[in-house]
Amino acid sequence: MELDELKNQWKQTDKTQKPKNQNIMELIQNKSNGPIAELKRSFKNQIIGMTVLPIAYIAANLEHIDKTFVSAIFWFFIMFCVSVIIFARLNYAIVEKMEGMDGKVKLNLEQQIVILETRIRQKLIGIHTAFLLFIGLLEVLPYFQNFQMLNKWHSLSPFIRFGAYSALFLYQYFVTRMGSRRGSEQHLANLKELVKQMQ
Amino acid sequence: MQKHEAEEQFEKHLREHELLIYKVCRLYAYSEADRQDLFQEIVIQLWKAFLKFNGQSKFSTWLYRVAINTAITGLRKKKNFIVSYEPATLPQHVDDNTSTEEEEEQLKVLHKAIEQLNQVEKAIVMLYMEDKAYEEMEDILGISQGNLRVKMNRIKEKLRQITKNN
Repeated sequence: MELDELKNQWKQTDKTQKPKNQNIMELIQNKSNGPIAELKRSFKNQIIGMTVLPIAYIAANLEHIDKTFVSAIFWFFIMFCVSVIIFARLNYAIVEKMEGMDGKVKLNLEQQIVILETRIRQKLIGIHTAFLLFIGLLEVLPYFQNFQMLNKWHSLSPFIRFGAYSALFLYQYFVTRMGSRRGSEQHLANLKELVKQMQ
Repeated sequence: MQKHEAEEQFEKHLREHELLIYKVCRLYAYSEADRQDLFQEIVIQLWKAFLKFNGQSKFSTWLYRVAINTAITGLRKKKNFIVSYEPATLPQHVDDNTSTEEEEEQLKVLHKAIEQLNQVEKAIVMLYMEDKAYEEMEDILGISQGNLRVKMNRIKEKLRQITKNN
């Protein structure tokens, strides 16, 4: 069958493939289920979560609020929450750039690839940095304040401590990489495959 | 433009062109539920982009861009979105009294063949079937006219082989 013969048949679909009469105005009120919308929702949730957590922590410790405000852990926790909020907001802005769907298809794909690669790189750096900061915190905190649990930890040999940190770092490195490959990197591979098909 | 006025214009334009969206959905999703999901997603993306639409290109060109972009990148990969042809996953036709059995059969052959093409080839062949000029196809897909002609020849050959083998 020649394609131009198929072309005539294709025109017939106009008559046979009638869409259901949908309420357009109702449809546009719905939430998008695309990957970009999902990412935006997840960043919004992170921002909300990291705003609510310190408030909940303060609320739970209202009776000893004076002690809470002088606790080094509390201020490190606040710093962590603020960092996550800033990071989520930056990511939100990056993902917003991917939202435009009205560009030429190839250009749009190439743009999405660049943005997604940047985001994946930043995400991995962010997670590794947070983990390293957490290790630093565990090592430095006992010099500022007395914590029974940390004192026990610090009574162990530095070789054991740093061995455990290294093992944990490697574990989180591989788990993060695996998670990334299943999520964003898989989507990235799909986009790259589409661009390849366009060459 | 006021929001209410924009909504009215959007609905009017969309009603005129909704068959185009449905054709995209038919190519990229096979079950009725998936087609409805994709239809809704395309409409949402069109609405988001509509307020920025400045009429620099034809409405149908702009619509194709959004619809194809959404169909190939906008939804998470699902197992049940068409990636290759399987007889059991063929789109079901909407009942229509005017088409003959022979026409139905030819339409099946047409879609069977097209479903074996990759995502980009599907978009190219759809635009070709819609009698779009290579210039407009370039404007929608961002692939040069020369490359499109080469691809189109390959697609024609591929479809010839597919229909010969089936």
